[in-house]
Amino acid sequence: MYRSLLCSTRLFITALDAIDSGANKSAVVSCNKLLKKYPKSDLLKALKALALVRQQKVEEPIALCDEVLASKPTDESTLNAMMLTLRQLGRHNDTVIMFEDALKRQPQNEELALQTFYAYVRTGNWKSGQLLATKMSKQFAHNDNYPFWAAMCAVLQANDFSTPPAIREVLYKLAHRIIASAWKTLDGSAERLHLYLTVLRELKSHDEAMALLKSEQGRVICSRSLTCDEIRRDIVKASGAVQEEGEAAKARILEQGDRNWLEFLSVLDAHCPTSGEKPLPESVGQAREFFVKVAEKDGKKDRSGLLAQLELEKRARAHGIIDDSSRLLALLKCYLETFGDKAVCYEDLLPYVALDSEDLAQWTRHLQMLPPQTDSVQNIQRSINVHKLLRFNLAQSELAPNAEDARAMALIKQYFEALPLGSELPKTELQPADDLVILAAQIFVNAYHISQEDSYLHRAVIVLEYGLLKSAQSYKIRLLLIRIYRLLCAPQLALEHYRQLGIKQVQHDTMSHYVLSRASMFSLAASGDLTYVSECLEASQVYLSNSQEVKAGRYERHSTTTNTRKTADFIVRAFQGEKYSQIANFTEFEDRLDNSLARDLVKMEHVRMRITHEPINADLIDMEAIELKFIFDRAHHDNRDMQVIPNYQPASQGSFYAQTTILEKDPGHGWLNAFLKVYIKAFKLASDLDTTVEEKLLIGDRPKPSTTADSGASLVERLSELKQEELDELTPDELAFVRYATDLSNWLAPYHDFSRPPPAVVLAEANKQSELRAKGINPPASEAGVTNGAVKKEEDPPAIQEAPVSLIAFFDRMQDRFRQLVSSTAGLYELLHVATLAQEALILFTIETLRFKNASLVKMHKFGALVQSFKGIRARGLDVASEIGKELVKLGEAQCTAVKRAEIVDACKDLRMHSQLTHEYILDIAKKITDSRKKVLDGVGKGVKRIVQTHTS
Amino acid sequence: MSIIRPFRATDQFKFNNVNLDIWTETYGISFYLHYLSRWPDMCSVQETPDGKIMGYVLGKAEGGREDWHGHVTAITVAPEYRRLGLAASMMKFLERVSDDVYRGLFVDLYVRCENQIAISMYEGFGYSVYRRVREYYGSLGRGAGGADEEDAFDMRKPLSRDPMRRSVRPNGRTMLVSAHDVS
Repeated sequence: MYRSLLCSTRLFITALDAIDSGANKSAVVSCNKLLKKYPKSDLLKALKALALVRQQKVEEPIALCDEVLASKPTDESTLNAMMLTLRQLGRHNDTVIMFEDALKRQPQNEELALQTFYAYVRTGNWKSGQLLATKMSKQFAHNDNYPFWAAMCAVLQANDFSTPPAIREVLYKLAHRIIASAWKTLDGSAERLHLYLTVLRELKSHDEAMALLKSEQGRVICSRSLTCDEIRRDIVKASGAVQEEGEAAKARILEQGDRNWLEFLSVLDAHCPTSGEKPLPESVGQAREFFVKVAEKDGKKDRSGLLAQLELEKRARAHGIIDDSSRLLALLKCYLETFGDKAVCYEDLLPYVALDSEDLAQWTRHLQMLPPQTDSVQNIQRSINVHKLLRFNLAQSELAPNAEDARAMALIKQYFEALPLGSELPKTELQPADDLVILAAQIFVNAYHISQEDSYLHRAVIVLEYGLLKSAQSYKIRLLLIRIYRLLCAPQLALEHYRQLGIKQVQHDTMSHYVLSRASMFSLAASGDLTYVSECLEASQVYLSNSQEVKAGRYERHSTTTNTRKTADFIVRAFQGEKYSQIANFTEFEDRLDNSLARDLVKMEHVRMRITHEPINADLIDMEAIELKFIFDRAHHDNRDMQVIPNYQPASQGSFYAQTTILEKDPGHGWLNAFLKVYIKAFKLASDLDTTVEEKLLIGDRPKPSTTADSGASLVERLSELKQEELDELTPDELAFVRYATDLSNWLAPYHDFSRPPPAVVLAEANKQSELRAKGINPPASEAGVTNGAVKKEEDPPAIQEAPVSLIAFFDRMQDRFRQLVSSTAGLYELLHVATLAQEALILFTIETLRFKNASLVKMHKFGALVQSFKGIRARGLDVASEIGKELVKLGEAQCTAVKRAEIVDACKDLRMHSQLTHEYILDIAKKITDSRKKVLDGVGKGVKRIVQTHTS
Repeated sequence: MSIIRPFRATDQFKFNNVNLDIWTETYGISFYLHYLSRWPDMCSVQETPDGKIMGYVLGKAEGGREDWHGHVTAITVAPEYRRLGLAASMMKFLERVSDDVYRGLFVDLYVRCENQIAISMYEGFGYSVYRRVREYYGSLGRGAGGADEEDAFDMRKPLSRDPMRRSVRPNGRTMLVSAHDVS
């Protein structure tokens, strides 16, 4: 007996060690041995489940977890092991229930109460969190955090989008009551004060908030904590104590040397607010006097005093107070004189240089009188600022392409003159003259935008690539090049520069659109090159490691990190460490990342690429149907960074970003919705899984809905409605594609719905497969859905409708478009756009007709005529696609000729006046461009050809 | 003209103009959330009036009773906003919080020995070299910069709780320690 126990203990320790060290297989072996002796041990089952889940297994750990959950464990080790396992399985709600049950059995156990609270926090269950924390504050009164936890949960519940406005106020009042009774006047916690002030601000209890702020405690904390000071400013403004705050700000500026612009804004708001009544001229005068004093004191040391005068002048003018009409101009000149050698000067002055005609003429004359100087770093910077300021106010009439070209050439000349100043700098430093080359390139792009002549883009590329040789770390130059290379249909070069940017972590979310926006048109996946497919996957990693998303059940087994919800862990930590000021923003961060528009635009592009190279089968169809449906229900946030790219175009023109947007429209919310509708409809028709089956097959929690919009309408209704704002974001060709897809799915829906096997049959088949998987056997992917058999129905099949004529008409249209583009001078990318959409339409046709490849199904439901009518459409699609494929390959070959290279070299001939821009250098870049174009045209062309082969029947 | 405000988790969506510069590292999401969930009051941003991030500082409080101090983990300014005194004001902010809130004895930071511009700047702010940490920036072999490229100076500035300046020493540059002694 004793020996057997010792043996078991040893085995148990071995199992634990194995789990700790990641030896999951041997952990399972040890657990199995022990389970033979102790078949009812929850702890062993939980440990085994954990070891299994860490080996990416799904079915067996689910069953084990269900067993353990049913026995309602209370022992800490079992609970911990279960918590880890359930988390990996995405079953956060089960974790909650498990701890709730345990707490019910041991209500005095503070540790269990804490774990239950954390489980609520992880799932964003603020209401239960608030109730539990309130209970804990009474039951475990020794810990004075709990009331604040309760209040914080009430605030979070109030802020949840699903909380109705009336309840919001009730919750804030509740939070107020809890904090007011727990508040200690000697408490020095900035975080508790912040929470208190947040609640008071929301309730507009300004008097109470001001009293708190004016107390010794409030004053000390606000002077030390930026978060509290931030909310203090809000409250002061809302309470109307603007004058008082203005005076206090003056004291902080003068006596404490504070140069936070917020202080200057307080003085400005006190003396000359932007809205409301017209201020007294004397009041404006007092503020001016104050700012003049600050500016005199600071000299070149700080810009705030001088800029505050400019802001004051702008505000006063808006109110009609102009006591000295020359002052604005004098201030502008003075600012330029004092801070013209700082890079920030242009950005600082931008809000103040939208001048009326007389002032503008004087200002322009003044700027033109300043000769460009390239003799010192400061003077280069000064000249750059002058160029930018002059450019900002150029009128439309001054922007003829040749005039723009001359401007760019002058800047390039100055660039080369200025370069020697940075010749000693290490390679890691930026050249002081960089902005000259950036400006020149932007001017070329504007000339391109006006003339639509590619030669200007070639010129831009030549100078930018040179700029990068000298300033290898300039991300701005790279961003410009990425945009231009895509316009030039040289996506490979764009991608190379993008990779050089070293994008990491969260930057994937904000930056990937620079190369992945509409990337499926450049993807060579169909011909076997998966570069863009993997780029999509890499860009999406950041979401997987930080997501609360449900795994698409048994259809998604690549990554078990999907459900770890890192941010949620930090929200728990913020509660533990009482960092209340961060919690709401952490939640917002998680929401913005989980529901990122960029994320799902990339996902959509990935699907569009995937279907070009993977076999269209039930696995792909079912998985994408589920995943895209979840995406469809998200309220998306657009985190894409479009600001990081510099813009020096005149105010009368579109921004550089807008001018270099491929097809002139960036895909946004509307575009995504339109494409989601197309694909969800197609995959859902093709899939055997209806909603009830899906519910049973998915594991883990469903994603928390992020919107209440459209909740009244059913999914089918929502899918069928195309909104104007969605259509507006599509190019005319995409619009034609969406209409084609809509007609196709409307036509075929009744036949799919009729012949889809009943849920019970699908489920039985799925269970059979998952049993096989549990045994370690991978069931073969079936082509025609989860079930192969057709199930006879009692009612008559729907009558066969003729195919809509619009389907063939779509392919006719695409053929016309393509031929027209080939014979025109349009951008090559447009050609790829049309080509890939035609190809996509063909694949979509396969997806939606796949079910009817099953001969017995067709026979049983008398769908013979239907299947016959597919032929004409498919044949037309194949015809058009073959022509496109052949033509693209031909065009690709034509790119790689000396003539094409010479076109580029010739367009840049005059740039060779600068000895650095040699013929060889220009030829080399020309070759890179034509090679890259060849690669993409040829690759897409061959891809289309291959698709024609795979989709012939 | 810059606004000083707290660093927020959502600033990760808008710090590209700062972080695309090669000297600024973009860490994993957990890194920022870790700092914000522990020392939110030591993390601040400087931004333009229209909300562009100009630079930021991330710091923490650490050490035992004898060497409890504020530490500058990251301080960075986007290239176009340099030479405006932003770094100075962010350092001042961090020193004030280390002193008033955390009651630290000193503030310290690590800087590459080869980064003479930064070292002079910190000296100007009142910091001095306390020790030289060998191979602090990885030991993948020396680049062209030699030892100065991979070694770091640990620089310190005493705060009001150390009026006798016990946390600094004059001959710090000659005091050599290895990287695992300090981390």
